[in-house]
Amino acid sequence: MTAPGQPAPAGATEIGTASPAAVGAHAADARVATKERLALLRRSKSFIAGSIIVGFWVLCAIFGELVVPKDPLASDPINDLISPSGDNWFGTDKLGRDVFSRVITGARDILIVAPLATILATVLGTALGLVTGYFRGLVDDVLSRIIEAFLALPVIIMGLLVAVALGPSKTTLIITIGVLFAPIISRTVRAAVLTERELEYVAAARLRNERTPYVLFGEILPNVMGPIIVEFTVRLGYAIFVAAGLSFLGFGIPAPAPDWGLQVADNYGVISGGFWWPVLFPSLAIATLVIGVNLIADGVASAFER
Amino acid sequence: MFLAAQVLPGDVARRVLGPFADQASVDALNHELGTDRPLITQYWDWISHFLTGDLGESIRNRPVSDVLFDPMVASAKLALLAFIIVVPLAIVGGVVAAMNEGTFRDRLISVGGLSATAIPEFVWAVLFILIFALGLGLFPTTAQPPDGASIFTQLKYLLLPSLCLVCTLFGYIARMARAGTIEALDADYTRTAILKGLPQRTVIRRHVLRNSLLPTIAVVATQAGYLIGGLVIIETIFNYQGIGQTLARAATQKDIPVLQSGVLLVGIVYLVATLIADILYSVLNPRVRLGAAE
Amino acid sequence: MAKDEIQRQVDAVRAGRSELENHIIDEYRAGYIGRREFMRRGAIVGMSLPLVSFLASACGSGDKEPSTGGSPSTKANVSKGGTLRTGLQAPGSDLDPIVVNNQGALAVLSQSGEFLIFSDRELKPIPRLAESWKPNADGSKWTFKIRQGVKFQDGKPMTAQDVAATFNLHADPDAGSNALSAFKGVLSKGGAQATDDSTVVFELEAPNGNFPFNTSSDNYNLIILPKGFDNEKWSKTFAGTGPWKMEKYTPNVGVNYTRNPDYWDKTRQPLPDRNELKFYEKEEAAILGVQGGEVDVLAQFSPVNGKALLTDQNVQVIELRASQHRQLHMRTDKEPFNDKRVRQAVALLINRDNVVKGLLEGKSDYGNDSPFAPVYPSTDKSVPQRKQDVEKAKALLSEAGKSNISVELRGWNGFEMPQYAQLVQNDLKAAGIGVKLNFTDGGTYYGDAVFGKSPWLDSTFGLTEYGHRGVPNVFLDAPLKSDGTWNAAHFKNKDYDKLVNEYVAALDLQSQRTAAKKIQEMLLDEVPIVFAYFYFYLTATKPDIAGVDVSAMGHVDVSQAGTKA
Repeated sequence: MTAPGQPAPAGATEIGTASPAAVGAHAADARVATKERLALLRRSKSFIAGSIIVGFWVLCAIFGELVVPKDPLASDPINDLISPSGDNWFGTDKLGRDVFSRVITGARDILIVAPLATILATVLGTALGLVTGYFRGLVDDVLSRIIEAFLALPVIIMGLLVAVALGPSKTTLIITIGVLFAPIISRTVRAAVLTERELEYVAAARLRNERTPYVLFGEILPNVMGPIIVEFTVRLGYAIFVAAGLSFLGFGIPAPAPDWGLQVADNYGVISGGFWWPVLFPSLAIATLVIGVNLIADGVASAFER
Repeated sequence: MFLAAQVLPGDVARRVLGPFADQASVDALNHELGTDRPLITQYWDWISHFLTGDLGESIRNRPVSDVLFDPMVASAKLALLAFIIVVPLAIVGGVVAAMNEGTFRDRLISVGGLSATAIPEFVWAVLFILIFALGLGLFPTTAQPPDGASIFTQLKYLLLPSLCLVCTLFGYIARMARAGTIEALDADYTRTAILKGLPQRTVIRRHVLRNSLLPTIAVVATQAGYLIGGLVIIETIFNYQGIGQTLARAATQKDIPVLQSGVLLVGIVYLVATLIADILYSVLNPRVRLGAAE
Repeated sequence: MAKDEIQRQVDAVRAGRSELENHIIDEYRAGYIGRREFMRRGAIVGMSLPLVSFLASACGSGDKEPSTGGSPSTKANVSKGGTLRTGLQAPGSDLDPIVVNNQGALAVLSQSGEFLIFSDRELKPIPRLAESWKPNADGSKWTFKIRQGVKFQDGKPMTAQDVAATFNLHADPDAGSNALSAFKGVLSKGGAQATDDSTVVFELEAPNGNFPFNTSSDNYNLIILPKGFDNEKWSKTFAGTGPWKMEKYTPNVGVNYTRNPDYWDKTRQPLPDRNELKFYEKEEAAILGVQGGEVDVLAQFSPVNGKALLTDQNVQVIELRASQHRQLHMRTDKEPFNDKRVRQAVALLINRDNVVKGLLEGKSDYGNDSPFAPVYPSTDKSVPQRKQDVEKAKALLSEAGKSNISVELRGWNGFEMPQYAQLVQNDLKAAGIGVKLNFTDGGTYYGDAVFGKSPWLDSTFGLTEYGHRGVPNVFLDAPLKSDGTWNAAHFKNKDYDKLVNEYVAALDLQSQRTAAKKIQEMLLDEVPIVFAYFYFYLTATKPDIAGVDVSAMGHVDVSQAGTKA
């Protein structure tokens, strides 16, 4: 995993000559590299393990509602806090709802919010990174300062603020996390772009009088996809983590959604009475999902390191 | 930040006095607080005061500096304790893992650390409270020590929440240390040193550690910033009056003066931490010192 | 004593009593009120305890009133000295007596400050800084005798001038006191006059049979302050007349007190040496605190979060029947609730058993859709309790042509309200009413607390929390009267307004009950607000602690508490 403030290792490219042939060869090289990487991924143990775990939860997110034994929202408060039994595999929570059903269906919301937020962050971050990395000079300086200012903002506090201002919902969560994660991604992208822009194919493109947006998105972008993908997978883990945390504090996904963070927040008050099950199972769910995503991120990072 | 807070819905005086107070009272308080003045005036006022160290007054009638100072110190204590525990632990873990690369021990430390980081702080908190505070009765269930407590007592109170932070930080730092160590072990100078016949311990100490520490330092410093955000959860569960809880409360109470100054302060802390990381990095890394800066 | 002798004495006593007092005695003799209620009513109108006790035994016909649940205030056998630590919900406001509007803060006020009257766990008015009080013939003017020889903790004597100044301060619209809402229509600025050092006369805006409660601990801002009150000075010392002297106040953390050696009440000298209050932001932490032994007393916990305490052998739980409740309002002037059949359907759909027995673990009374909680003596118990009836609800809805509607429920994330809302959501689903929950934090829900700028007051469907009061007057007025400032249901019914005025003006229990019955029946029919439950006030203490006196209002008196001897 990479540090939050540090750029991920850039994908390696060969420095070629300025001839068109070399440029063409460069593109071919890239294609070959992709094939190699995919093969590496397929063999990476952590990638596989991670994919299995995440795959399981994705299935739960998609099919969960159809498969679970009980309605995750159906309350029965007189039968609250019953310990795990044949009837309720994971027991019931404070309102008498079946914990097993809630854990399974809880995958959906988090698997909508976190990936969308990360995609938003990646798109914003990439755009920012491309611009600051390519232009340097005043643009870079000004934007970078602003980006650094954003970096300094603590995510959870900002998430709280936005939730108070706009009302907690999936959308506010996505936007907040997306916007707040973008700066870090932009730093990674910027670092990669800094290297790329010195390469011959960029100069070649400029000589051909290609317009800047094309240079940025057409030429440079495909070559920094490596670090971007790595960043994406890394940030995804964090996004899940932060979303669960905000829901725990009551400023994330609103009730009565079977969100895991919310379940822990609702039920941890009674844990000292020996009612451990409504807290343990959602926690395990969060943990396994984040581990799974991190394993994937690891595999991807290794594949791109070669 | 100022604008963001202004966007927050709600009338400030109403927040202070509560929904059941009379409207006349609310108007009176609003006038007193100056919230009925134009935005620009308010902002200018605030900036000029801030720069002279006057952070203004919280809507709860206390100077903002008072409101922020104790919690800031409190959070710092917690963070410090966590770092004191986690940094040596993680570095050792990382180095050991690197030296035994690929073995079970390595797997244990790496995967274990990874898993620990993946488990959200609130889960650790609940677990620790359940086992150590309630079950074994060794520690108190909250983190706020009574007044005038000795260092020892304070430690007792702060230990559980620090351990939660340790769990979330360990995996990360260990991983960095491990990666750095592996790289260093592979490097030419290490091989040279071993060929020269130097004992392993010296090799480690003089060459490897120095270089494995580099990325670690960078990580530790940046984690300081991330930590402030993560503190909210731990402080909430352990009923600890740190900067996290204070800012969270300020956000829901729309206590703008506290929020503005508080977030600014947190940001400054983060930037300072990053700066220190940069400095340390260049001090420890001869290549950076000699070569051009980034 | 011979029966004749007793009768003669009673007659002699009665000859000297006012018409109102005689009326109360008649009620008692005729069996309309039980002994406890007689003592309470008598006390409200200012009859002294010995007098009331005498009459109670002389004219007694047995106890017919249900108990409020609290054990009688006999002195517990506890050892003196030591430190008593109490956990409280963190105050949500400054500790300025003018501004205080939440439970954590009011408990702090009453440690070092005192009221004219203390409203105890049985809703009886106990004289504190007032020795006695009497109404005039129609209850529009009340005369209070102020106790002499009491000193503020800074040494200055407390007199009737201080009392009058305190009341006029809170009744002054410019001061912005939280108590202004309680005094609206009752007492205005200048209405309190000190006629001499020991007498205060209150001239009310309208006759009010329950006025003493406005001067009691129920009106929690009204601790008696020195005249010329200044919060700057106050916040450094909290110097009231109470048994505890503030030693140290750490905002958001707690307050420490030591014994007040000059406390006036020789029968209630504080037993512990020190009184430490600890603030908890989250209830979960407070519950863990009392279980872990960090505090000896937890002043209030909710049954929803406190299930662990209810089953813990190492914790003692004190239950007080109370009138704290939640109001589920429906705007009577907006779709879909402008048709009262729809409102009735909603009330019939709610499974009150689930809430009372399940969510609240049985620690609650059932609510019958009016502010008349079972704990109030003036509540007419003969009005039948509404029960869940899904079929009838469906029929009403199709009659009104609203068989498939959706509506947004607003509220805020505090106490058990989010859970209750989820139960309501499920209950209403059964008849085709889709409820979408929009719960935020408290500040956002209340907004500016004026019509047009507050989700609380503007929402079509909303849930609001109300804390305990010793009498239902406030609940009948502000949320339900046509000009009520808290009328989220926009309920405007002239007949209702008239009935409430009747109730408020009634000085004796019988007339109160008659008015109550009419109000209860009308509200059951119109049902602008669903009152599903009135839950108990729960306190937890360590098993070896005794003598803690709590009131459902939120006051905690540990002056007579300590480890069991």
